[in-house]
Amino acid sequence: MANDTIIRFDNVTKSYNSNTTVLKGVSFELERGKFYTLLGPSGCGKTTILRIIAGFEAPTTGDVFINSKRVNNVPANERQVNTVFQDYALFPHLNVFENVAFGLRIKKVKEAEIKARVAEALKFVNLAGYENREITEMSGGQRQRVAIARAIVNDPEVILLDEPLSALDLKLRTEMQYELRELQQRLGKTFIFVTHDQEEALAMSDEIFVLNEGNIQQSGTPVDIYDEPINRFVADFIGESNIVDGVMLEDYKVQFAGKVFDCVDGGMKQNEKIEVVIRPEDLHLTTPAAGKITVRVDTQLFRGVHYELSTYDKDGNEWLVHSLKQAEVGAQVGLDFDPEAIHIMRLNETEEEFDARIEAYTNEV
Amino acid sequence: MRSNLTTTAKVYLAIVFVILYAPIFYLIFYSFNSGGTMSSFESFTLEHYKAVFNDNRLLVILINTTIVALLSALIATMIGTLGAIGIVSMSNKKMRRTLLSLNNILIVSPDVVIGASFLILFTMVGIQLGFTSVLISHIAFSIPIVVLMVLPKLFEMNTNLIDAALDLGANRRDVLTRVILPYIKPGIFAGFFMALTYSLDDFAVTFFVTGNGFSTLSVEIYSMARAGISLTVNAISGLVFVVTVGIVVMYYLITKRTRKSGEV
Repeated sequence: MANDTIIRFDNVTKSYNSNTTVLKGVSFELERGKFYTLLGPSGCGKTTILRIIAGFEAPTTGDVFINSKRVNNVPANERQVNTVFQDYALFPHLNVFENVAFGLRIKKVKEAEIKARVAEALKFVNLAGYENREITEMSGGQRQRVAIARAIVNDPEVILLDEPLSALDLKLRTEMQYELRELQQRLGKTFIFVTHDQEEALAMSDEIFVLNEGNIQQSGTPVDIYDEPINRFVADFIGESNIVDGVMLEDYKVQFAGKVFDCVDGGMKQNEKIEVVIRPEDLHLTTPAAGKITVRVDTQLFRGVHYELSTYDKDGNEWLVHSLKQAEVGAQVGLDFDPEAIHIMRLNETEEEFDARIEAYTNEV
Repeated sequence: MRSNLTTTAKVYLAIVFVILYAPIFYLIFYSFNSGGTMSSFESFTLEHYKAVFNDNRLLVILINTTIVALLSALIATMIGTLGAIGIVSMSNKKMRRTLLSLNNILIVSPDVVIGASFLILFTMVGIQLGFTSVLISHIAFSIPIVVLMVLPKLFEMNTNLIDAALDLGANRRDVLTRVILPYIKPGIFAGFFMALTYSLDDFAVTFFVTGNGFSTLSVEIYSMARAGISLTVNAISGLVFVVTVGIVVMYYLITKRTRKSGEV
């Protein structure tokens, strides 16, 4: 059990000045050697969680465990955790070598070992030979790598990354996503990555925690979260989605947009009001006769890999469609989709209830 | 950088600088006059400079002035730097503003007032007027200047640097000596040199708190000038001016060097 758990949050809350509550009872367990992402809009509490793990802030109530040891009152400088800051926070008065060596010098490591370990860390982030450069001479992407080298050189158990890619341009950011993921796998260390960028989260993580207003909304693998969002917030925040109201007539039968469809969800009450999610890429353009629902194309944007169509059905529901084929604006078209594309969300269902229901009705089958 | 000044602006600027510097150069010019007065230049001589260096009393005063300046600047820099760090790290905003205002009041309040109040304080406490009293008062009026020079660097410092240092295992002392002090070094140097020049050229405060047997250059020059025209005064003033220019050049070179490596 606890052997593989490296960090545990037990009902942690955090309030400032007794009237602003940033975290409202957060509990989770993180396993050793995995890549975790805390995902959410600004102000959701993701950075606060990171700062509590790092030890810059103490939880108001609840307990934090690192390696099964309660660390609520352990200061930042005594934790086996290193942070890569959003603005990198490199020391401007030190060169690249000294920045990376900072933690080792504090620990009074021998000079020869410092040299070897710094060289190794810089090689790890592809910056071998940059030892004597000043920080001012480094580009944004290189500074980012120096910051990562400065963290990994101390051989911490956990590396915390606070939106480290947000200051980079798009191309470099995508490149760094690959690099970070690869680095994490080579090091085999636990990475906790904070971001508000859902694409980043989906691309890199073993597991994602979606946060909103101080609560964990859903956690799971990127595929789980994308395919089975638990509520409107998650569905909306992760990727584009069409969300319409519907009624669950019985198991595997759902009614929305004025029709009854087959679906693959069950375990709900009869005639329960639910919300239906269909991803835009799961909708296929076809003729009105062949389609399951008929819509009118309102606008069309060319996105490079696909066209993004905004369409409306006769009830006024908007349906976003990603299509490889071009459509005519103003035309009536049919939309086809598979039963698997329909995802049902119960109103106000918690993550535990969701998991229990999935388990219950899959066992039935 | 290309100058976009019009001719009128340039002429105006030249006139202003000539007016500002003319008295000083006039004074230095006559320090080489063998005539003994400032009314007519007779021939070039270094005898007034010789007189300065042969006057033991004057040399002692020169050494006193330098020692007081260096010591007071050093001590004021230490106290002022730590004070500035303390003020910046205060979480209570109102308290911080109040302290900053109190600091600024000390800078703008007239030297005469400061000098007189120190005189009263020293006589009350019973400190003998002389080296100690001059040193203490110089330290006191230099501290606010150092605080003012160090503060901008501290305000511009990214507080994440402190978090980063803690994160890498640094304790509070490491944070101070390895991150904060190196970062604000240019400000500390600026404060030190400002304190040095303020101490060197202070007349009003020193005039009040100096006692028998101890004098600084500015006080001495004042009494010499009052006693009657002597070109020795010119010679000393010339020397002081050269030293001042030297300090400014040194300060410029130091800030230029630290700026090169201290920018991000």
